[in-house]
Amino acid sequence: MILKIENLHKQYKNVKAVNGVSFEIKKGEIFGLLGPNGAGKTTVIKMISTLTKPDEGFIEVKGFDVVKNRHDVRKAVAVVPQENNLDGDLTVHDNLLVYAALRRVPDAKRKVLEIMERFGIASKRNELVDKLSGGQKRRVIIARVMLAEPELILLDEPTLGLDPSIRREIWNLIVQIKNRGKSILLTTHYTEEAESLCDRVAIMSSGKIKRMGTPEELINEAGRFVLETSGQDGCRVFRIVRSRDELDEAMKENGSAACTVRDARLEDVVVIEGGINEHGA
Amino acid sequence: MNTVLDFAYETWAVFLREALLLKNKLTKLGFVFYSLTSPLIYLAAFGFGFGSRISFEGVRYEYFLVQGIVSMTSMMNSYNLVMLAVSYGRLHTKSFQNLITSPVSALSLMTGTVLSGILRGVMASVVVILAGFILFDVFPFGFFSAVALFFNLLFAGSLGVIIGLSIKDLEANAVIMNFFIMPMNFFSGTFYPVDNLPGFLNKLVYLFPLTHTNIIMRAESMTQPVLLSLIILIILTFITFIAGVFMLKRYSE
Repeated sequence: MILKIENLHKQYKNVKAVNGVSFEIKKGEIFGLLGPNGAGKTTVIKMISTLTKPDEGFIEVKGFDVVKNRHDVRKAVAVVPQENNLDGDLTVHDNLLVYAALRRVPDAKRKVLEIMERFGIASKRNELVDKLSGGQKRRVIIARVMLAEPELILLDEPTLGLDPSIRREIWNLIVQIKNRGKSILLTTHYTEEAESLCDRVAIMSSGKIKRMGTPEELINEAGRFVLETSGQDGCRVFRIVRSRDELDEAMKENGSAACTVRDARLEDVVVIEGGINEHGA
Repeated sequence: MNTVLDFAYETWAVFLREALLLKNKLTKLGFVFYSLTSPLIYLAAFGFGFGSRISFEGVRYEYFLVQGIVSMTSMMNSYNLVMLAVSYGRLHTKSFQNLITSPVSALSLMTGTVLSGILRGVMASVVVILAGFILFDVFPFGFFSAVALFFNLLFAGSLGVIIGLSIKDLEANAVIMNFFIMPMNFFSGTFYPVDNLPGFLNKLVYLFPLTHTNIIMRAESMTQPVLLSLIILIILTFITFIAGVFMLKRYSE
């Protein structure tokens, strides 16, 4: 077990950002925290990375307590934050070199060159980070965390705001990282991202974990089919049903000609766990 | 032994970042002029305006002025660089979060950051000393000046960390500048001896570290008042530095 979290709580003024979260991540696993904005995902990441102290509960990385053994935890964990936190006034090369120095990477100069080649940013080595595009900056941040070869990588909304082609590129980099045996905690509100990349997913809402399992398990638990009909006010109504029998009954109620049926997706489960069983679109 | 080596390595890593940032910033004229224009204008204006007409206890005014402006400029540069690096990195670029979650001790983080302020302050001081030499043919810099400069820079850098960690937005620094730094610059003996100030103010200015820096900066031998100022400056510096380490250790968002 690389990460163990038990009954984690964090409150900001009157808002309970995290409210009794517990989960574990196995070595080599990609674990996804999926949920809408404000669900508490980033706060969990901040607490694991030692940036924020938990009010209550327990986090252990590689057996080290994040409050008592912060130095050891920091050696084992690296973060790709939601916002670009590179030094804009430094070149790509210098950003990586500084990170390597802070993390005591042996043979840092060679490793920096190697990692720039591997992540396709070698041609940008002497460019100031401020001059790079959003996608290029993301590449540099992900390359940066790989310099230190940490055992647990925290990816906080790594593809937020990127266009679909660059998002795919970043997914490929994440798969590369997993293939090197690293454990990853990925927060996202893109369900297709969680479905494509994660071995297991926890759905978070209002600071709590509502459901946890593989994407397939979550879909099967919630229901297999999505029934789409027209509501009284003319808007479309979605409803998830668990079995073929339940589906037939629902279609009979609504008149089968007015219904569309499709297989349930993880996105539908997230909608249900957000407290909405039927929603208009 | 290992702990000392760890401390040295981690401090170097933090300083490396700041030094690289400083190197790049020095190519920006706005950055260079921002912190040097005012002191050089003060030096030229007061030096040419009063220089040949005033002397204090037989010491040429230009001599006195260069020493005061070195104290003021070094403090401002060290404080500003560190305060901005910490607060801007914490509130805007978020690069501070990368530093604080690195496996680097709070003591190393503090030392490396303050060292960058010291470097910046020394560079600015050299410019003022050179300007004083070129404009007025004075070189008022000796052993006591070096001691004063070191503790002044260490204090200012440490204060920069504390303020950088405390403020909620950059505008809050304006309050610190207007109600602490600016009065200190003008009333701590930078441009004239503090003895010229009226009774109450004359006592009050001894609460400012810059007053003690100026006393040590202008000392020619270790008299009792100089020793007292040195002790006060060292205590203030030590308290500020330790407070910075403590705040970094307890930092949580």
